[in-house]
Amino acid sequence: MTIEQKVNAANAQAADILTRARPVWTDVQPAIDVIPGMTKTTVLVPGPPLPVEQITPPIRTSICGAAVHEGLAKTKEEAWTMVERGEVSVEPAQNHQCGCAACMVVSASMPVMVAEDKVYGGKGYAPIHPGPNPKCLRWGFYDEDVERDLSWFRDHFGPALGRAVRKSGGIDLITVLAKTAGMGDENHNRQPAASMCLALQVIPWMLDDPDPQRDEMIRHFAANDRFFLHPMMAGVESITESIKKIPLSTVVAGMAGNGVEFGIQLAGTGNRWYTTKAPVIQGTFLNPSYTEADLLGYLGDSCVTEVYGLGGMSAIAGPAYLRMTGSTIAEARSRTEKARAVSLAEHTFAPIPWDDFRGFPVGLDARRVVGLNILPISHGGSALKKGGQGGAGAAELPVDCFKDALRAIHKDALAWAEQEG
Amino acid sequence: MDCEKILNLFRSELVVVNVGPKLFAEALEKQGYRTVQVDWKPIAGGDREMQAILDVLGGLD
Repeated sequence: MTIEQKVNAANAQAADILTRARPVWTDVQPAIDVIPGMTKTTVLVPGPPLPVEQITPPIRTSICGAAVHEGLAKTKEEAWTMVERGEVSVEPAQNHQCGCAACMVVSASMPVMVAEDKVYGGKGYAPIHPGPNPKCLRWGFYDEDVERDLSWFRDHFGPALGRAVRKSGGIDLITVLAKTAGMGDENHNRQPAASMCLALQVIPWMLDDPDPQRDEMIRHFAANDRFFLHPMMAGVESITESIKKIPLSTVVAGMAGNGVEFGIQLAGTGNRWYTTKAPVIQGTFLNPSYTEADLLGYLGDSCVTEVYGLGGMSAIAGPAYLRMTGSTIAEARSRTEKARAVSLAEHTFAPIPWDDFRGFPVGLDARRVVGLNILPISHGGSALKKGGQGGAGAAELPVDCFKDALRAIHKDALAWAEQEG
Repeated sequence: MDCEKILNLFRSELVVVNVGPKLFAEALEKQGYRTVQVDWKPIAGGDREMQAILDVLGGLD
């Protein structure tokens, strides 16, 4: 067997898993009870690892807020000193099969959604989307109001969601995507149809919840048209757990930004990150006074949805998002065509009616990205340097991290060939 | 006879086949010429190190 045949076989296996997996949202539990490697002093953060001194201000606030929320420190300042001393361990969420969108972080007591891949057995995790209030930990804010919200999620909303989803027997995320195909969601930055479809399946199981705040919880849940993003991220993580175990595969198994660097992970090298300077998200500003200088580089794990073929990969499925971010239908089509040129497979469960009923492209092959010099696009919300959301749009994935990843696989491939004789 | 064939070619409408950057084709189109664009890029944008790695890893067929 040649190296190329070996890599092709590994990639076929990864593409097979990506297209056949069946992620189901099954539970909500405190992070420490379910996430492998989680401790009382761990804080999981979005993106590839970054030296403590380079951590951006909003993530710093989120980390410190989480530490205060956990009772590890009394103030944010005390918490940061603990981070600097290594008494609080800051780790990339994706290395724990968890996805943290935007500036969100996860600490021990926070409720996380658990997704299980019913075909290959992987598990993935993500915190609960906080809803439309812009002042939240997810955008790098922490004060008494945010602490009150975090406590409400921990003590009421998280446990109630867990009870409801367990009673429902689990929410099949593929069915949600299939039922909402053709409803205009691209499922990274726009998912009102999927969120409603999911809420329809969960709310009936919340109606007899014993928590006296039941009505408030249902009201909060039903009003969040972005809710689906986070269970979907947990679902993707449950799948990538299985593909990260395929030696020599050049299929992308993880990607994210930390505001400074953007990184990818390949199926062939598991949780190893390949990083380069983070691109800035181009699109629409939420406030006309903002400029690009106000924005951090790409920040957040939400582009794991692109790993699964959603968002920018299937931009043509959600033309309204392109319109909202100042782009065009032609550009939406171009983004999907680019993704198809560098992907190894196509999902069959959610055909796009106005794209000849084609499916979402999935299984980015780093060889094709570099070789064809076609850079896939990720959608995303942009974070302000001072905290908060600055805008929404898209970013071209930087080629240098793909090149670094290929260097590593090439080295492993030569070692494999030598061993094979 | 052969010479006449060549002359006919020069007397016929000029259609330019452009390989690579579209800018050249666009410049000719602005001057009224027809062009055919061939969408071609060197492998890995011309990066020799990556070309050598991709020779081993394949995947571009």
